[in-house]
Amino acid sequence: MKKTIKETIKETIKESKNSVDYKNITDFYNPNILINIGPSHPATHGTLRLMCQLNGEVIEDTKFEIGYLHRGKEKLGEVKTYHQWFVYTDRLNYCSALINNIAYAMTVENLLEISITARCMWIRMICMELSRIIDHIICVAINALDMGALTIFWHLYRWREEAYTMIEGMCGMRLTTTYARIGGMFYDVPEDLHDNLKKFCERFPKALDEMETLLTTNRIWIDRTKGVGRLSKEDAIKYSTSGPVLRASGVDFDLRRDRPYYAYADIDFDVVVANNGDVYDRYLVRTEEMRQSIRILKQCSKHLQSANGPLWVDDRRVFIPDKIDVYTKMEVMIHHFKIFMEGIDVPPGENYTAVEGPNGEVGFYIVSRGGPKAWRLRIKAPSFLHFQMMENTIKGVKIPDAISILGSLNIIAGELDR
Amino acid sequence: MSKDGSNTMIFSTLLSEAVKWGRKNSLWPMPFATSCCGIEVMSTLSSTYDLSRFGAEVVRFSPRQADMLIVAGTITTKMAPVLRTIYDQMLEPKWVIAMGACSSSGGIFDTYSVLQGIDYIMPVDVYVSGCPPIPEGLIYSVLYLQKIIDEGLERTPALKPTYEEAMKAMTYHKTPEGLILPSIKTGISLGNGTNEEASKEVPNEVRNG
Amino acid sequence: MRFAMGSSIDQRATYLQLQKAANQKLQDLYAKDLHFELDKINEPILWVKNMPNLFAVICYLQTDEIFKINYLSDLTAYDNIDHIDGDKRFVLVYQLLSLETKVSVRLKLLIDDSEDAKTISHIFPAANWLEREVFDMYGIVFRGHPDLRRIMMDERFIGHPQRKEYDIKQRMPFADNMKTNLDRNPVP
Repeated sequence: MKKTIKETIKETIKESKNSVDYKNITDFYNPNILINIGPSHPATHGTLRLMCQLNGEVIEDTKFEIGYLHRGKEKLGEVKTYHQWFVYTDRLNYCSALINNIAYAMTVENLLEISITARCMWIRMICMELSRIIDHIICVAINALDMGALTIFWHLYRWREEAYTMIEGMCGMRLTTTYARIGGMFYDVPEDLHDNLKKFCERFPKALDEMETLLTTNRIWIDRTKGVGRLSKEDAIKYSTSGPVLRASGVDFDLRRDRPYYAYADIDFDVVVANNGDVYDRYLVRTEEMRQSIRILKQCSKHLQSANGPLWVDDRRVFIPDKIDVYTKMEVMIHHFKIFMEGIDVPPGENYTAVEGPNGEVGFYIVSRGGPKAWRLRIKAPSFLHFQMMENTIKGVKIPDAISILGSLNIIAGELDR
Repeated sequence: MSKDGSNTMIFSTLLSEAVKWGRKNSLWPMPFATSCCGIEVMSTLSSTYDLSRFGAEVVRFSPRQADMLIVAGTITTKMAPVLRTIYDQMLEPKWVIAMGACSSSGGIFDTYSVLQGIDYIMPVDVYVSGCPPIPEGLIYSVLYLQKIIDEGLERTPALKPTYEEAMKAMTYHKTPEGLILPSIKTGISLGNGTNEEASKEVPNEVRNG
Repeated sequence: MRFAMGSSIDQRATYLQLQKAANQKLQDLYAKDLHFELDKINEPILWVKNMPNLFAVICYLQTDEIFKINYLSDLTAYDNIDHIDGDKRFVLVYQLLSLETKVSVRLKLLIDDSEDAKTISHIFPAANWLEREVFDMYGIVFRGHPDLRRIMMDERFIGHPQRKEYDIKQRMPFADNMKTNLDRNPVP
């Protein structure tokens, strides 16, 4: 006769009642074990803490804890001037630092009611699309790495280095660029940027094709990612997700097409929408978005080659002069001194500007009461809302599936905790 | 010449030299990557700037299996106890590289929640400057660490906070008069008496607990 | 619209006409009772008087055809310690968006130090963590919130960092919990 596990245990306990503590054994058969996928873990990208109540390998209940990287940037926005705060924008979504720079510059330019020149606008669009590509590369590579597919990481990181070389040619730094300025850009682009972009746009789609042969029709990848972490359309809107996560769930919304800024209304590109909302769909959406970004890059490069106007806007309040003029002419030196020591005088008002970042909607809300420093500087980070969405929709999922969902959401701790 | 007449190569050296050679060429890093410097650690470990050329290929995410801790990124006061636990779990011999400005000295973040440098809570061997340091910088720091290991079998970091000092730097003190928070300038004694004036400034309440 | 290349973007961004119509409708409906203004790029800001008023406005915006608001972009607050925007201490800001008509609205609410706000996490579940962050940084309590506790700072932290009187360098570290783990195996 087959006995259950509990019955056999009770028999063995009856036999050796003196040596075994009855209470301790049955404690181990309590289905709810609390574990910590802790702040230092190879699969949590950055410092996230998932406290899970497990029943075997299924997560019954979770609470997430964040704040392990809270550096107080919003408070720093009230202490530093508008120019000095540019440095902190890179450290928000550090995989695509240029988009944060440009979004912040856009917000302050809206407060000052400045419209930038055409040349500056095309450079900014090139920067944004290039950072979108490198952020999506990181997301796909790390997602695959968590599930054991290391080859993708080695393959794709080489293209990140090519993009980094181009970005370094533009502004001097690979990761924390601080390239945009209020009213213009820090440097003009180098002469070989268009050749490098052309080579990148020719070779990168082929590398993407090669990567897709490894993943898209791979039986193991499909089994591990299809149907995992399914997010319905209503849930995606309820929890305020944005970006590829929202589009993979079937909602056709892209800030570049629906609330266009700069010249996105003129450029041909497609918005990628998928149906199911699982990890496989997010991977497909990101891969296809990389191809669309290449398309946008080609068009922007052509436009930039023909836009030969000035880089800086012709506004006395924000114009940063060239160093040659600063060292030779008196008025220019005083102007330079005033801009950097006192700051820009921004008139009172407020503004919320949102930009389509690779993770979602990156927004800056600035309240100004006049003067060189902001009164309130709020950063709207998409990873914050995505992580909250994950806390609410992860019940009943096994641990390895939870890790792959975490990888597909592209949670970046710098943005989450600010 | 050996017994049967063939030419055998034997070189004799001190045991410590052999131990140093073995230790410096097989440093297994544990990248404790919190923020932006973590991306540069990933770039260093990938194929363009290969860190495995210098023996640091095996990246172990468990502190019990690693001997070099690369602290890359900002360490906040909430994360400091976690980092100290990880450092304590590593077995001797162990070395610490403080990568980037944030872990060396707090970096650009002098705010209410950032620890101003990990040398408040653990002895650091190499400080790498940069925000983030480029991959060549991290490779240079690993080579510099190899040079330091070559100099002697004992660690010689600049500041050596003991366990009690690390705890003190991470706790606030309650006295009958009220809360005493560790102040910005002082807080712990700076090293083994090398900087005597600074260590004199530590108030008695903080020193005695 | 001041984004780029003069006024050429005005003709090609189709959502701007809808936004203008929405602004006009808000102005017609609410300008008598509540204060309505436009910000620097012609986005509408509506100052509501109190929490029931806020819920009524959100209900209306969810059902009306031009608006069809179904998405909460952001929920935040700022400190009004110099009383320029009103008599009370804090201002709560709700940034709402419609995914169908692409129209956006900003609602602002003055709230005092001693008052409690009411949560909107039953309408927009995304507001759960956002309200926790406002509580952590400012100390505004949200009644009806399922789980109101600190999110960014440690639970034992004293003070609300984003208030204007909190000094930016005032640190409060915690390591009390470490002793219990390491006492068993003290490592030098």
